Amino acid sequence: MSDSTTTERPGKGTVFVRTEICKGCSFCIDFCPTDCLAFSKDFNPKGYHFPVLQTPEACTGCDLCGLYCPDFAIYGERWKDLDERKAKRPAALPTPVAKAWPAQVPTAAEPAGVLTGLHFIDGDHAACEGAIAAGCRFVAGYPITPSTEIVERFALRIPTVGGVFIQMEDELASSIAVQGAAWGGKKTLSVTSGPGFSLMMEHIGLAIMTETPGVWVDVQRGGPSTGLPTLPAQSDMMQARWGSHGDYEIIALVPNSPQECFDLMIKAFNLSEIYRTPVMFMMDEVVGHMVERVEIPAPEQIQIIPRKFTSKSKAEYRSFATTPDDLVPEMTKAGEGYRIHVTGLTHDERGYPAMNSATQDKLVRRLINKIRDHADDLVDIIEDYVDDAEIIVVSYGITSRIAKSAVEDARQRGIKVGHLRPRILWPFPGGRMRELAKRVKTFIMPELNMGQMVIELERAVKGSAEVISIPHAGGSVHEPEAILKKIVEVSQ
Amino acid sequence: MTTNTAPELLRDIDTVNPVMPYLRQERIPHIWCPSCGIGTTVNCFTRALTESGMDLDQIAVVSGIGCTGRVAGYMNLDSFHTTHGRAIPFATGLKLANPKLKVVVYSGDGDLTAIGGNHFVHAARRNMDLMIVCVNNFTYGMTGGQVAPTTPIGAKQTTMPFGNFEQPLNLPFLADACGAVYVARWTVFHVRQLAKAMLEGLRKKGFVFIEAISPCPTLYSRRNKRGDGIDELKYYKQNSLVKNGANTQEVGLTFDGKIVVGKFVDRERPTWLDAMNDHFKQSIGPHYSPYGG
Repeated sequence: MSDSTTTERPGKGTVFVRTEICKGCSFCIDFCPTDCLAFSKDFNPKGYHFPVLQTPEACTGCDLCGLYCPDFAIYGERWKDLDERKAKRPAALPTPVAKAWPAQVPTAAEPAGVLTGLHFIDGDHAACEGAIAAGCRFVAGYPITPSTEIVERFALRIPTVGGVFIQMEDELASSIAVQGAAWGGKKTLSVTSGPGFSLMMEHIGLAIMTETPGVWVDVQRGGPSTGLPTLPAQSDMMQARWGSHGDYEIIALVPNSPQECFDLMIKAFNLSEIYRTPVMFMMDEVVGHMVERVEIPAPEQIQIIPRKFTSKSKAEYRSFATTPDDLVPEMTKAGEGYRIHVTGLTHDERGYPAMNSATQDKLVRRLINKIRDHADDLVDIIEDYVDDAEIIVVSYGITSRIAKSAVEDARQRGIKVGHLRPRILWPFPGGRMRELAKRVKTFIMPELNMGQMVIELERAVKGSAEVISIPHAGGSVHEPEAILKKIVEVSQ
Repeated sequence: MTTNTAPELLRDIDTVNPVMPYLRQERIPHIWCPSCGIGTTVNCFTRALTESGMDLDQIAVVSGIGCTGRVAGYMNLDSFHTTHGRAIPFATGLKLANPKLKVVVYSGDGDLTAIGGNHFVHAARRNMDLMIVCVNNFTYGMTGGQVAPTTPIGAKQTTMPFGNFEQPLNLPFLADACGAVYVARWTVFHVRQLAKAMLEGLRKKGFVFIEAISPCPTLYSRRNKRGDGIDELKYYKQNSLVKNGANTQEVGLTFDGKIVVGKFVDRERPTWLDAMNDHFKQSIGPHYSPYGG
């Protein structure tokens, strides 16, 4: 039906209705100041009666109907305004312009953040310096022993570097504030220990799903629950891998000294940008609180991977689109005119929710494969005395320092034993372990937990070598003698 | 397209409806039930955006989870649909990373004040420069009508099958007590006032809290024999008392009582970021260059 036309103009204005999206709530009809609307006798395809202009001569085009309509199905306009708008209508929309962002090529560190020189600091402080050197300019944290020194140092350092520290109300808040900041364009760090790490789990999932880069530090302490706040453990290693719900892959780095807290922190930030994914930085209480010599290089000697911002125009850019050669989408940030949508729901290439198994399959496979396909690039193992080894001790973090001394003692006794220290624990470097299992008789794995990463080791060697765990519930570290004893026992 | 408008005007419809340029049109129709009020609040928000004359590229919408949490996904702005209850801390990070952005948190009563209650309290305390739009429909709509921290005493919900016996939160009082600089409440019947409050909120610096009372016809109204969305709007019309500057302690809501609406609080207080910059300027001196993003 045609209530209003440009030629017949009975009232001061008119209404326009997209009948197919009307849900028949009657808000427009009931609150029309001139009572000019009524329900049609017809149904729309969804089965709703929609409004029609019953008394066109009464319509003023006031658009109160439009303001009430919860379905965006109706609006009103004065004839006068309509004519003016039509006269003013631009001939064409402006052409979208591409942003000129640099490509993702390594650069030097920003000098403002780099305290070049020799320092005598603990692992927590060194980790903080690593983050600042890596370009981190936003930290949200919540105090928790034994990680607090990292945020304390950041709070002290960042005002003169140019960035923000905010102590949030809890770890749930800090682990998502960093994601807001990442979408605001910052490199971010969140820091915690056991109980706080548990609270952060949901947001690891969000960061995975929305491909939000950032580094998450867990200075591990004894658990479960409040456990041993001031004493070490390595018992969150499986939590780092599997703690959030759903299927995903994770990257986790494990330093064993304050120097590595600095060096590997930069690597963690770089990996986070390369793979557009949260990276776990798994320290422990001893590494966090151990004071040692730390050498911070000159800014130009520090290689920084910048964010992979898109250079596409708004019209071409799809926030979560990738190519078969590169499973990592280009990023953007809020405020650049791209009008992005980011959701934790299963989403399509535009970031729009699309809840069906096909989209889920495509998305989850890509999120997993962008890391699995690069597992070989993510191998970082320090190997000692491995060439002729019949026994290999595999250890990481603080435990690796004790294990290495035990291995050296055993070598002096003539035992052919080697030491393997993965610095990237997730993805687990199973390939190298499998390769060695062809000639190695026994793997020994001491950990400050009741046997977590040893499960991965067993899975990797698939029975072709013996795998022995030396568990420790945490609270202290292994005695070197305990490891040595096991090496001697196995060698006989 | 089916329409009852003259054919020569059809081509204008998508672009002319004042709300349409603000929406991701390919996602319409939305998921909200017939006579749900969330869409009406979105209309008001778009009118406020138009009036504000702000650069839309500099506005971001952050939502949590739930029916109102879907607002972010329909807005043609930079938009973030985060986790349940955590829209405010996400928005805090976004705002601090880029203070030039106007960050609007648009979410429901359960999301913002139950699971997200702690964040709400602390963002208000800090006077974080965020505009919070809380669509209060007294229930958890998306999960099927469970009791919310706003459900009035006596109202039936699936997890309060014999009627709610818990004291509900008085949200304007909560926001006021925590230090919000702007606190208003309107219902979706008060579309013009709600749009005006949103405009004022967009222009205000600091923690702005706007409560929009809205019907959940499917899971609150019908279940409590209050009729449909339109009946709720009529109820709001008849039972609202406009009291600008009202003492927020006295604006708590009951199942069938009056609804005090109006602008309750409008005051000045330094935002978190302004306070930080001022503080560091004083304590660090010339070595400090004010942070601006």
